Amino acid sequence: MNFVPTALEFDTYGQNGQNGGVPTSLYFDPYDNNGGTALGLSGEDYSIVASDTRQSSGFDIYSRCDQKATKLTENSVLALGGFRADGRSLTKRIIQRMEWYRHAHEKEMSFRAISQLLSVTLYSRRFFPYYAFSLLGGLDENGKGVVCSFDSVGSYHDEPSCVVGSGSALMQSFVDNQIAFHNQQVNNEPISLEKAIRIVKDSFDGVAERDIYTGDSLDIFIITRDGVTTEQYPLRKD
Amino acid sequence: METNIIPRKGGFNFDNYKRNLFLEQKGLTLPKVTKTGTTIVGALFKDGVVLGADTRATGGSIVQDKDIIKISYIAPNIYCCGAGTAADTLFTTALISSQLELHRLTTGRQSRFNSAETMLKQLLFRHQGHIGAALILGGYDINGPVLAHIYPHGSSEHHPYITMGSGSLAAVSVLETRWTKNLERQDAIDMVKDAVEAGIFNDLGSGSNVNLVVIEKNKTESLREYSKPTPHHPKNCDYKYKRGTTAILKESIKDLVVVTDGEAMDIS
Amino acid sequence: MPLKPGELDLGTTIIAAEFKDGVVMGADTRATMGSYISTRNANKITQLHEKIHLCRSGSSSDTQAISDIVKYYLQLYSIVNEEPTTLTAAELMRELNYNNKEVLSAAFIVAGWDKHSGGNVYILPLGGTLHKAPFAITGSGSTYIYGYCDSLYRKNMEKEEALNFLKNALALAMSRDGSSGGSIRMAVITEEGVERLYIHNKDIPEYNDLEN
Repeated sequence: MNFVPTALEFDTYGQNGQNGGVPTSLYFDPYDNNGGTALGLSGEDYSIVASDTRQSSGFDIYSRCDQKATKLTENSVLALGGFRADGRSLTKRIIQRMEWYRHAHEKEMSFRAISQLLSVTLYSRRFFPYYAFSLLGGLDENGKGVVCSFDSVGSYHDEPSCVVGSGSALMQSFVDNQIAFHNQQVNNEPISLEKAIRIVKDSFDGVAERDIYTGDSLDIFIITRDGVTTEQYPLRKD
Repeated sequence: METNIIPRKGGFNFDNYKRNLFLEQKGLTLPKVTKTGTTIVGALFKDGVVLGADTRATGGSIVQDKDIIKISYIAPNIYCCGAGTAADTLFTTALISSQLELHRLTTGRQSRFNSAETMLKQLLFRHQGHIGAALILGGYDINGPVLAHIYPHGSSEHHPYITMGSGSLAAVSVLETRWTKNLERQDAIDMVKDAVEAGIFNDLGSGSNVNLVVIEKNKTESLREYSKPTPHHPKNCDYKYKRGTTAILKESIKDLVVVTDGEAMDIS
Repeated sequence: MPLKPGELDLGTTIIAAEFKDGVVMGADTRATMGSYISTRNANKITQLHEKIHLCRSGSSSDTQAISDIVKYYLQLYSIVNEEPTTLTAAELMRELNYNNKEVLSAAFIVAGWDKHSGGNVYILPLGGTLHKAPFAITGSGSTYIYGYCDSLYRKNMEKEEALNFLKNALALAMSRDGSSGGSIRMAVITEEGVERLYIHNKDIPEYNDLEN
């Protein structure tokens, strides 16, 4: 990201003296991409939200322990990819709106209510969007596992398995095959929670091999009727 | 016999230059060359020189190759680390090493470090930076151990320790704190390994393993995968597909040979 | 000619001066790429012949290519003829600088001792001119020390005086110019031969306690 206080400057230094003395217009780019991958899976009575903990830009690592997923309630977890500053401020805003809801109605927001709130919040910035790709995992009002994925301006839909962030193109096809059984004729038994967790770990191991923005460590949030539990798993650090 | 065919003299072929310029105007974007992020390191020690490199090749944010060799052979007593455009480092070092081999066969003498350095820098200067090869050249000849870096525009300098590539900012910190005059062989190897590892861990363009080459008087040792700092996890699941996973949409069997009954084989 | 993208810049302070027995030359040791110091211990004083040296400023690759060619010419010249004079070397440099001025970004100070005219300093700015001068400064850092050098340079200085003059001038330029820095390299060329000196970064005088 390139922060320049004025829009037009006489570039007297000129990188390498290339633009010495020539007026150059410089732009302020408010967005950056901080990498990272988040995966959401849903089963009959559970859902999983997992994300790596690397935060980076260009060829630099900013953090090796940055949590991209946040527990919102006892049955919903929100993970964010894209521009980290927008991801944080969006999470903060959602948490605050949930707090106000609690004070007004004396109860927690349901999973469906949170996903609708997230959608309208994103759309409220239609012409200066949050550069954030959201993934909301949890249990619906019947206790069934649900995962919703959102684009940066609020369009969202349910999916049994979805991936957002820098490694999404690499991971999506793998989980489509292993979780949603795409292109598999036999083998349609529902996946147990234990096996799902193992697939999640393998997915991230694989993506960390090939995507330079994914690595360091994995946070796995497991959402069941008993609440949210977490698990850590180490990834490549190079 | 007269002929209109002009023999090729070597060098680059610019046949497609005008066509590509035309296509670019029509809105075609030319393919991108592989510019790998890299950490390459070299250091002198008491009686030799160590060269080190990571093994990652990237294309955008994707790791293209997890185990490529970035230290190339120039002569039995001279090796070279390359950063920048992968194809350029490959071809410049191959070209110079072949010229030096022929020179050795003519003279019957060991190649001189200075020959390699001068040939490389003159080639790069002739092409005015269009050959994007940033090199660390290390060798041992009658003047003892030598180490130099050569920039794509054709400038070169001799230094006791050098690092280049996108990981050089991480690697240089290790060299600046640890390098001293007359390092022991093992200490120099450890330092170069740690410098490359600093690049591997802190620069996203560098990764995987550390390759080393140690050049001493009459002895060159290549240490492939001297360090593997990123252990591989065993798989948590079994991904063997069950029989019948792939759908059979239609079946057709054609008889391509006619099988005729012959006499039974004698198996007595 | 501005530097090409990614080119190594010797954004430099270089200086040379005549003194009683010959010439003294000096240079900082910093080489930069944009704002990154790619080398903190470069050698910008290059030998052209036994008693002829030059200071390089501008593009690292251009100045090395030119001085390598002139070094080769002088080797041939000294086999066919007598030892080259400093002027011969400087004229050869000028010729290359003039003929290729469209593509070069290189400025030099050529200095040396020969039996015909003793110690001589020549300056070759961008574009292919050649000037003889009792002392010469150039490079990005030189602009800060014109006044200092004009006021303190004297003819026929002793060796130690001349070296102090160089050291102080370089120290002042290096403290103000971001593209100059590191350590100081100096060379003394007299009839007796060449003496090379190195002042480590930590021994460079501060501006308020210059040694005179």
